[in-house]
Amino acid sequence: MDRNAGGLEGPFRRMSAAESPSSDAPSRAPTRRALAKQQTRGRILEAARRLFSEHGYEGATIRDIAAAANMSTGAVFANFADKYDLFRDILEIETEHAVEIMRAAAVGGANVEDVLLRMFRVSFSHYEGLLPLARASFAVAISPQGLALVGGECIGRFFRLFREPLDAAVTRGELRGDCNIQLLNEMLWEAYLSNILKMIYQGVSPQAALERARAQFSVLLAGCRVF
Amino acid sequence: LSARQVRKEATRQRVLDAARGLFESVGYEGTTVRMIARAAGVSVGSVFTTFKSKREVLSHILHERLDGLHGELNHVASQLRGSTADRLRSIFAIHFAYVSHHPSLFLAYVATTFDGPGEKSEEQRQDSRLWKILHGCLEDGRTRGEVCPHVDITLVTDLLLAAYVWTYRLVAREDADVDALSQVMDRHIGLIADGFTPRPDAAA
Repeated sequence: MDRNAGGLEGPFRRMSAAESPSSDAPSRAPTRRALAKQQTRGRILEAARRLFSEHGYEGATIRDIAAAANMSTGAVFANFADKYDLFRDILEIETEHAVEIMRAAAVGGANVEDVLLRMFRVSFSHYEGLLPLARASFAVAISPQGLALVGGECIGRFFRLFREPLDAAVTRGELRGDCNIQLLNEMLWEAYLSNILKMIYQGVSPQAALERARAQFSVLLAGCRVF
Repeated sequence: LSARQVRKEATRQRVLDAARGLFESVGYEGTTVRMIARAAGVSVGSVFTTFKSKREVLSHILHERLDGLHGELNHVASQLRGSTADRLRSIFAIHFAYVSHHPSLFLAYVATTFDGPGEKSEEQRQDSRLWKILHGCLEDGRTRGEVCPHVDITLVTDLLLAAYVWTYRLVAREDADVDALSQVMDRHIGLIADGFTPRPDAAA
Protein backbone atom coordinates (compact mmCIF):
# COMPACT_ATOMS: atom_id res chain seq x y z
CA MET A 1 0.00 0.00 0.00
CA ASP A 2 2.66 2.52 -0.83
CA ARG A 3 1.20 3.83 -4.06
CA ASN A 4 2.20 7.28 -4.90
CA ALA A 5 2.99 8.71 -1.54
CA GLY A 6 5.67 10.72 -3.31
CA GLY A 7 6.16 14.41 -3.95
CA LEU A 8 3.83 16.91 -5.52
CA GLU A 9 3.86 17.58 -9.18
CA GLY A 10 2.79 20.32 -11.53
CA PRO A 11 0.43 23.01 -10.38
CA PHE A 12 0.05 21.49 -6.92
CA ARG A 13 3.56 22.45 -6.00
CA ARG A 14 2.46 26.05 -6.14
CA MET A 15 -0.15 25.41 -3.49
CA SER A 16 2.21 26.04 -0.63
CA ALA A 17 3.11 29.43 -1.98
CA ALA A 18 -0.46 30.33 -2.87
CA GLU A 19 -1.98 29.32 0.42
CA SER A 20 -1.26 31.77 3.13
CA PRO A 21 -0.60 30.56 6.65
CA SER A 22 -3.24 30.91 9.34
CA SER A 23 -4.97 34.26 9.38
CA ASP A 24 -3.92 35.23 12.88
CA ALA A 25 -0.23 35.08 12.03
CA PRO A 26 0.03 36.23 8.43
CA SER A 27 3.66 37.30 8.56
CA ARG A 28 5.11 34.42 10.52
CA ALA A 29 6.10 31.09 9.08
CA PRO A 30 3.35 28.48 9.12
CA THR A 31 3.30 26.11 12.04
CA ARG A 32 4.35 22.51 11.61
CA ARG A 33 0.75 21.48 11.97
CA ALA A 34 -0.37 23.86 9.22
CA LEU A 35 2.40 22.59 6.97
CA ALA A 36 1.40 18.99 7.58
CA LYS A 37 -2.19 19.85 6.77
CA GLN A 38 -1.14 21.56 3.54
CA GLN A 39 0.86 18.54 2.60
CA THR A 40 -2.10 16.26 3.26
CA ARG A 41 -4.37 18.45 1.12
CA GLY A 42 -1.77 18.43 -1.64
CA ARG A 43 -1.57 14.64 -1.57
CA ILE A 44 -5.34 14.29 -1.73
CA LEU A 45 -5.59 16.80 -4.58
CA GLU A 46 -2.88 15.03 -6.51
CA ALA A 47 -4.58 11.64 -6.15
CA ALA A 48 -7.99 13.13 -6.94
CA ARG A 49 -6.68 14.88 -10.03
CA ARG A 50 -5.29 11.60 -11.33
CA LEU A 51 -8.48 9.61 -10.65
CA PHE A 52 -10.78 12.28 -12.12
CA SER A 53 -8.59 12.21 -15.23
CA GLU A 54 -8.78 8.44 -15.46
CA HIS A 55 -12.40 7.81 -14.54
CA GLY A 56 -14.28 11.08 -14.97
CA TYR A 57 -15.98 12.96 -12.18
CA GLU A 58 -18.75 10.47 -11.44
CA GLY A 59 -16.44 7.51 -11.85
CA ALA A 60 -14.03 8.55 -9.11
CA THR A 61 -15.28 8.07 -5.55
CA ILE A 62 -13.96 9.62 -2.36
CA ARG A 63 -13.07 6.11 -1.23
CA ASP A 64 -10.93 5.53 -4.36
CA ILE A 65 -9.30 8.90 -3.91
CA ALA A 66 -8.50 8.17 -0.27
CA ALA A 67 -7.02 4.80 -1.19
CA ALA A 68 -4.91 6.33 -3.95
CA ALA A 69 -3.63 8.99 -1.54
CA ASN A 70 -2.93 6.22 0.95
CA MET A 71 -5.22 7.60 3.64
CA SER A 72 -8.61 7.03 5.19
CA THR A 73 -11.84 8.51 3.82
CA GLY A 74 -12.11 10.28 7.18
CA ALA A 75 -8.84 12.08 6.49
CA VAL A 76 -10.18 13.21 3.12
CA PHE A 77 -13.38 14.52 4.69
CA ALA A 78 -11.37 16.33 7.36
CA ASN A 79 -9.85 18.39 4.56
CA PHE A 80 -12.68 18.70 2.06
CA ALA A 81 -16.41 18.97 2.66
CA ASP A 82 -17.29 16.66 -0.24
CA LYS A 83 -16.30 15.62 -3.73
CA TYR A 84 -17.43 18.91 -5.28
CA ASP A 85 -15.33 20.83 -2.81
CA LEU A 86 -12.36 18.73 -3.79
CA PHE A 87 -12.99 19.12 -7.47
CA ARG A 88 -13.51 22.85 -7.15
CA ASP A 89 -10.05 23.23 -5.64
CA ILE A 90 -8.51 21.33 -8.52
CA LEU A 91 -10.42 23.38 -11.05
CA GLU A 92 -9.44 26.64 -9.39
CA ILE A 93 -5.77 25.76 -9.43
CA GLU A 94 -6.00 24.67 -13.07
CA THR A 95 -7.93 27.75 -14.12
CA GLU A 96 -5.58 30.13 -12.39
CA HIS A 97 -2.68 28.49 -14.16
CA ALA A 98 -4.36 28.52 -17.58
CA VAL A 99 -5.42 32.16 -17.31
CA GLU A 100 -1.92 33.10 -16.20
CA ILE A 101 -0.21 31.57 -19.23
CA MET A 102 -2.86 32.94 -21.59
CA ARG A 103 -2.47 36.47 -20.26
CA ALA A 104 1.31 36.21 -20.58
CA ALA A 105 0.98 34.95 -24.16
CA ALA A 106 -1.21 37.90 -25.11
CA VAL A 107 1.50 40.48 -24.45
CA GLY A 108 2.61 42.18 -27.65
CA GLY A 109 -0.40 41.18 -29.74
CA ALA A 110 -0.89 43.51 -32.70
CA ASN A 111 -4.69 43.79 -32.62
CA VAL A 112 -7.72 42.22 -30.97
CA GLU A 113 -7.67 39.18 -33.25
CA ASP A 114 -3.97 38.63 -32.75
CA VAL A 115 -4.25 38.91 -28.96
CA LEU A 116 -7.10 36.40 -28.87
CA LEU A 117 -5.24 34.03 -31.17
CA ARG A 118 -2.16 34.17 -28.96
CA MET A 119 -4.27 33.35 -25.93
CA PHE A 120 -6.12 30.52 -27.63
CA ARG A 121 -2.94 29.05 -29.11
CA VAL A 122 -1.15 28.68 -25.79
CA SER A 123 -4.30 27.39 -24.12
CA PHE A 124 -5.00 24.71 -26.74
CA SER A 125 -1.44 23.41 -26.50
CA HIS A 126 -1.72 23.44 -22.72
CA TYR A 127 -4.99 21.49 -22.66
CA GLU A 128 -3.78 18.97 -25.19
CA GLY A 129 -2.02 17.20 -22.33
CA LEU A 130 -4.95 17.62 -19.94
CA LEU A 131 -7.91 16.52 -22.02
CA PRO A 132 -9.31 13.91 -19.60
CA LEU A 133 -9.31 16.41 -16.76
CA ALA A 134 -10.80 19.06 -19.04
CA ARG A 135 -13.53 16.59 -19.93
CA ALA A 136 -14.38 15.97 -16.27
CA SER A 137 -14.33 19.73 -15.60
CA PHE A 138 -16.77 20.42 -18.37
CA ALA A 139 -19.10 17.68 -17.17
CA VAL A 140 -19.10 19.13 -13.67
CA ALA A 141 -19.46 22.71 -14.87
CA ILE A 142 -22.57 21.87 -16.85
CA SER A 143 -24.21 19.64 -14.22
CA PRO A 144 -27.03 21.10 -12.11
CA GLN A 145 -25.04 20.89 -8.86
CA GLY A 146 -21.77 21.97 -10.34
CA LEU A 147 -23.05 25.21 -11.74
CA ALA A 148 -23.42 26.95 -8.43
CA LEU A 149 -20.21 25.58 -7.01
CA VAL A 150 -17.63 25.75 -9.74
CA GLY A 151 -19.42 27.78 -12.35
CA GLY A 152 -19.07 31.36 -11.31
CA GLU A 153 -15.55 31.87 -10.12
CA CYS A 154 -13.56 29.92 -12.67
CA ILE A 155 -15.60 31.01 -15.66
CA GLY A 156 -15.49 34.58 -14.44
CA ARG A 157 -11.72 34.52 -14.77
CA PHE A 158 -11.95 33.52 -18.41
CA PHE A 159 -14.60 36.17 -19.00
CA ARG A 160 -12.39 38.89 -17.57
CA LEU A 161 -9.44 37.60 -19.55
CA PHE A 162 -11.32 37.81 -22.87
CA ARG A 163 -12.82 41.15 -21.94
CA GLU A 164 -9.49 42.94 -21.72
CA PRO A 165 -8.56 42.85 -25.43
CA LEU A 166 -12.14 43.76 -26.39
CA ASP A 167 -12.15 46.88 -24.24
CA ALA A 168 -8.69 47.80 -25.50
CA ALA A 169 -9.89 47.40 -29.10
CA VAL A 170 -12.80 49.76 -28.47
CA THR A 171 -10.40 52.31 -26.96
CA ARG A 172 -8.09 52.00 -29.97
CA GLY A 173 -11.03 52.39 -32.34
CA GLU A 174 -10.73 48.88 -33.76
CA LEU A 175 -14.17 47.88 -32.57
CA ARG A 176 -17.21 50.11 -32.47
CA GLY A 177 -18.01 51.61 -29.09
CA ASP A 178 -21.71 50.98 -29.51
CA CYS A 179 -21.45 47.25 -30.08
CA ASN A 180 -22.50 44.87 -27.33
CA ILE A 181 -19.14 44.02 -25.80
CA GLN A 182 -20.70 41.97 -23.03
CA LEU A 183 -22.41 39.73 -25.58
CA LEU A 184 -19.26 39.45 -27.67
CA ASN A 185 -17.37 38.55 -24.50
CA GLU A 186 -19.82 35.76 -23.80
CA MET A 187 -19.72 34.45 -27.35
CA LEU A 188 -15.91 34.38 -27.26
CA TRP A 189 -16.06 32.17 -24.19
CA GLU A 190 -18.56 29.88 -25.93
CA ALA A 191 -16.37 29.70 -29.02
CA TYR A 192 -13.31 29.01 -26.89
CA LEU A 193 -15.11 26.24 -25.04
CA SER A 194 -16.45 24.72 -28.25
CA ASN A 195 -12.90 24.36 -29.55
CA ILE A 196 -11.75 22.66 -26.36
CA LEU A 197 -14.76 20.33 -26.68
CA LYS A 198 -13.75 19.54 -30.25
CA MET A 199 -10.32 18.58 -28.95
CA ILE A 200 -11.79 16.45 -26.17
CA TYR A 201 -14.54 14.63 -28.04
CA GLN A 202 -13.46 14.62 -31.64
CA GLY A 203 -9.71 14.47 -31.35
CA VAL A 204 -9.19 17.79 -33.12
CA SER A 205 -5.54 18.90 -32.94
CA PRO A 206 -4.55 22.19 -31.26
CA GLN A 207 -3.55 23.54 -34.69
CA ALA A 208 -6.92 22.70 -36.23
CA ALA A 209 -8.70 24.15 -33.18
CA LEU A 210 -6.76 27.38 -33.67
CA GLU A 211 -7.72 27.60 -37.34
CA ARG A 212 -11.28 27.10 -36.27
CA ALA A 213 -10.94 29.89 -33.72
CA ARG A 214 -9.54 32.22 -36.38
CA ALA A 215 -12.59 31.60 -38.56
CA GLN A 216 -14.89 32.06 -35.55
CA PHE A 217 -13.33 35.45 -34.77
CA SER A 218 -14.01 36.68 -38.28
CA VAL A 219 -17.71 35.80 -37.90
CA LEU A 220 -18.08 37.07 -34.35
CA LEU A 221 -16.18 40.33 -34.80
CA ALA A 222 -17.73 41.15 -38.18
CA GLY A 223 -20.62 43.18 -36.82
CA CYS A 224 -18.44 45.17 -34.40
CA ARG A 225 -15.59 46.19 -36.64
CA VAL A 226 -14.92 49.75 -37.64
CA PHE A 227 -14.56 49.92 -41.39
CA LEU B 1 -43.04 -13.17 -28.20
CA SER B 2 -42.18 -15.80 -25.65
CA ALA B 3 -43.49 -15.52 -22.09
CA ARG B 4 -39.97 -14.70 -21.02
CA GLN B 5 -39.67 -11.82 -23.46
CA VAL B 6 -43.03 -10.47 -22.37
CA ARG B 7 -41.91 -10.55 -18.75
CA LYS B 8 -38.67 -8.85 -19.64
CA GLU B 9 -40.43 -6.07 -21.52
CA ALA B 10 -42.84 -5.57 -18.61
CA THR B 11 -39.91 -5.23 -16.22
CA ARG B 12 -38.28 -2.76 -18.55
CA GLN B 13 -41.37 -0.57 -18.68
CA ARG B 14 -41.80 -0.69 -14.92
CA VAL B 15 -38.17 0.33 -14.42
CA LEU B 16 -38.55 3.20 -16.88
CA ASP B 17 -41.79 4.40 -15.28
CA ALA B 18 -40.29 4.26 -11.80
CA ALA B 19 -37.14 6.05 -12.94
CA ARG B 20 -39.12 8.80 -14.70
CA GLY B 21 -40.99 9.50 -11.48
CA LEU B 22 -37.90 9.46 -9.29
CA PHE B 23 -35.72 11.54 -11.61
CA GLU B 24 -38.43 14.18 -11.61
CA SER B 25 -39.13 14.17 -7.89
CA VAL B 26 -35.66 13.63 -6.37
CA GLY B 27 -33.48 14.43 -9.37
CA TYR B 28 -31.01 12.27 -11.25
CA GLU B 29 -28.18 12.53 -8.73
CA GLY B 30 -30.44 11.86 -5.78
CA THR B 31 -31.87 8.71 -7.31
CA THR B 32 -30.12 5.40 -6.74
CA VAL B 33 -30.61 2.17 -8.66
CA ARG B 34 -31.88 0.64 -5.44
CA MET B 35 -34.59 3.29 -5.21
CA ILE B 36 -35.60 2.62 -8.81
CA ALA B 37 -35.82 -1.11 -8.12
CA ARG B 38 -37.94 -0.60 -5.03
CA ALA B 39 -40.35 1.78 -6.78
CA ALA B 40 -40.65 -0.61 -9.74
CA GLY B 41 -41.21 -3.58 -7.45
CA VAL B 42 -38.30 -5.52 -8.92
CA SER B 43 -34.91 -6.58 -7.62
CA VAL B 44 -31.76 -4.51 -8.10
CA GLY B 45 -30.45 -7.40 -10.17
CA SER B 46 -33.38 -7.15 -12.59
CA VAL B 47 -32.67 -3.47 -13.14
CA PHE B 48 -29.11 -4.30 -14.06
CA THR B 49 -30.07 -7.10 -16.43
CA THR B 50 -32.25 -4.61 -18.31
CA PHE B 51 -29.96 -1.57 -18.22
CA LYS B 52 -26.22 -1.32 -17.78
CA SER B 53 -26.37 1.66 -15.44
CA LYS B 54 -28.48 4.48 -14.06
CA ARG B 55 -27.02 6.62 -16.79
CA GLU B 56 -28.38 4.28 -19.44
CA VAL B 57 -31.86 4.51 -17.92
CA LEU B 58 -31.67 8.30 -18.08
CA SER B 59 -30.40 8.27 -21.61
CA HIS B 60 -33.23 5.97 -22.70
CA ILE B 61 -35.87 8.23 -21.14
CA LEU B 62 -34.45 11.34 -22.75
CA HIS B 63 -34.09 9.74 -26.16
CA GLU B 64 -37.80 9.04 -26.21
CA ARG B 65 -38.47 12.70 -25.50
CA LEU B 66 -35.90 13.99 -27.97
CA ASP B 67 -37.22 11.78 -30.77
CA GLY B 68 -40.52 13.61 -30.47
CA LEU B 69 -38.82 16.98 -30.41
CA HIS B 70 -36.69 16.38 -33.48
CA GLY B 71 -39.66 15.12 -35.44
CA GLU B 72 -41.50 18.31 -34.59
CA LEU B 73 -38.51 20.52 -35.43
CA ASN B 74 -38.04 18.89 -38.80
CA HIS B 75 -41.66 19.49 -39.59
CA VAL B 76 -41.66 23.11 -38.43
CA ALA B 77 -38.34 23.98 -40.10
CA SER B 78 -39.80 23.41 -43.55
CA GLN B 79 -42.68 25.79 -42.85
CA LEU B 80 -40.77 28.70 -41.37
CA ARG B 81 -40.93 32.11 -43.02
CA GLY B 82 -39.00 35.32 -42.44
CA SER B 83 -35.29 36.09 -42.30
CA THR B 84 -32.69 33.41 -41.63
CA ALA B 85 -31.99 34.86 -38.18
CA ASP B 86 -35.70 34.79 -37.33
CA ARG B 87 -36.02 31.20 -38.49
CA LEU B 88 -33.07 30.19 -36.35
CA ARG B 89 -34.69 31.98 -33.42
CA SER B 90 -37.91 30.02 -33.97
CA ILE B 91 -36.07 26.70 -34.08
CA PHE B 92 -34.37 27.40 -30.76
CA ALA B 93 -37.56 28.75 -29.18
CA ILE B 94 -39.34 25.48 -29.98
CA HIS B 95 -36.41 23.50 -28.72
CA PHE B 96 -36.30 25.40 -25.41
CA ALA B 97 -40.05 25.16 -24.92
CA TYR B 98 -39.83 21.41 -25.34
CA VAL B 99 -36.91 20.66 -23.08
CA SER B 100 -37.93 23.16 -20.42
CA HIS B 101 -40.48 20.73 -19.03
CA HIS B 102 -37.62 18.82 -17.49
CA PRO B 103 -34.72 21.25 -17.29
CA SER B 104 -32.64 19.64 -14.59
CA LEU B 105 -33.15 16.19 -16.05
CA PHE B 106 -32.00 17.35 -19.43
CA LEU B 107 -29.03 19.10 -17.90
CA ALA B 108 -28.10 16.02 -15.88
CA TYR B 109 -28.21 14.10 -19.14
CA VAL B 110 -25.94 16.55 -20.91
CA ALA B 111 -23.53 16.40 -17.97
CA THR B 112 -23.41 12.59 -17.83
CA THR B 113 -22.83 12.30 -21.54
CA PHE B 114 -19.88 14.65 -21.30
CA ASP B 115 -18.37 12.94 -18.26
CA GLY B 116 -15.95 10.09 -18.15
CA PRO B 117 -13.75 8.40 -20.66
CA GLY B 118 -14.94 5.96 -23.27
CA GLU B 119 -17.52 5.65 -25.97
CA LYS B 120 -18.68 8.41 -28.27
CA SER B 121 -21.32 10.27 -26.40
CA GLU B 122 -24.97 9.87 -27.29
CA GLU B 123 -25.30 13.59 -26.91
CA GLN B 124 -23.32 13.95 -30.10
CA ARG B 125 -25.91 11.91 -31.92
CA GLN B 126 -28.69 14.08 -30.52
CA ASP B 127 -26.70 17.20 -31.24
CA SER B 128 -26.17 16.15 -34.79
CA ARG B 129 -29.89 16.04 -35.46
CA LEU B 130 -30.35 19.59 -34.23
CA TRP B 131 -27.13 20.42 -36.05
CA LYS B 132 -28.59 19.21 -39.36
CA ILE B 133 -31.77 21.21 -38.90
CA LEU B 134 -29.78 24.40 -38.23
CA HIS B 135 -27.38 23.71 -41.06
CA GLY B 136 -30.30 23.21 -43.45
CA CYS B 137 -31.80 26.51 -42.35
CA LEU B 138 -28.54 28.32 -43.11
CA GLU B 139 -28.23 26.64 -46.52
CA ASP B 140 -31.73 27.79 -47.38
CA GLY B 141 -30.69 31.26 -46.27
CA ARG B 142 -27.75 31.16 -48.64
CA THR B 143 -29.95 30.32 -51.62
CA ARG B 144 -32.06 33.36 -50.71
CA GLY B 145 -28.93 35.53 -50.59
CA GLU B 146 -29.15 36.13 -46.84
CA VAL B 147 -25.99 34.26 -45.97
CA CYS B 148 -22.69 35.55 -47.33
CA PRO B 149 -21.20 33.04 -49.82
CA HIS B 150 -17.77 33.35 -48.18
CA VAL B 151 -18.98 32.30 -44.76
CA ASP B 152 -18.44 28.71 -43.68
CA ILE B 153 -21.92 27.41 -42.84
CA THR B 154 -20.55 24.47 -40.85
CA LEU B 155 -18.63 26.87 -38.65
CA VAL B 156 -21.70 29.05 -38.12
CA THR B 157 -23.78 26.01 -37.20
CA ASP B 158 -21.16 25.00 -34.64
CA LEU B 159 -21.21 28.51 -33.17
CA LEU B 160 -24.98 28.37 -32.81
CA LEU B 161 -24.73 25.07 -30.97
CA ALA B 162 -21.93 26.40 -28.77
CA ALA B 163 -24.13 29.34 -27.81
CA TYR B 164 -27.02 26.95 -27.20
CA VAL B 165 -25.12 24.59 -24.90
CA TRP B 166 -23.93 27.48 -22.80
CA THR B 167 -27.22 29.32 -22.72
CA TYR B 168 -28.91 26.18 -21.53
CA ARG B 169 -26.97 26.38 -18.28
CA LEU B 170 -29.09 29.37 -17.34
CA VAL B 171 -32.01 27.08 -16.69
CA ALA B 172 -30.31 25.43 -13.78
CA ARG B 173 -28.18 28.29 -12.57
CA GLU B 174 -30.73 31.04 -12.60
CA ASP B 175 -33.88 29.03 -12.92
CA ALA B 176 -34.56 30.92 -16.12
CA ASP B 177 -37.85 30.27 -17.90
CA VAL B 178 -38.28 29.58 -21.59
CA ASP B 179 -38.77 33.24 -22.46
CA ALA B 180 -35.63 34.34 -20.67
CA LEU B 181 -33.69 31.54 -22.31
CA SER B 182 -35.00 32.40 -25.75
CA GLN B 183 -34.17 36.07 -25.24
CA VAL B 184 -30.56 35.29 -24.42
CA MET B 185 -30.33 32.94 -27.38
CA ASP B 186 -31.94 35.55 -29.65
CA ARG B 187 -29.18 38.03 -28.85
CA HIS B 188 -26.52 35.44 -29.58
CA ILE B 189 -28.18 34.59 -32.87
CA GLY B 190 -28.20 38.32 -33.66
CA LEU B 191 -24.46 38.58 -33.13
CA ILE B 192 -23.79 35.48 -35.23
CA ALA B 193 -26.16 36.75 -37.94
CA ASP B 194 -24.12 39.98 -38.09
CA GLY B 195 -21.22 37.75 -39.04
CA PHE B 196 -22.94 35.77 -41.80
CA THR B 197 -25.08 38.49 -43.37
CA PRO B 198 -23.59 39.84 -46.63
CA ARG B 199 -22.07 43.27 -46.01
CA PRO B 200 -22.20 45.71 -48.91
CA ASP B 201 -19.88 48.13 -47.06
CA ALA B 202 -17.17 45.47 -46.73
CA ALA B 203 -17.33 44.35 -50.36
CA ALA B 204 -14.24 46.31 -51.33
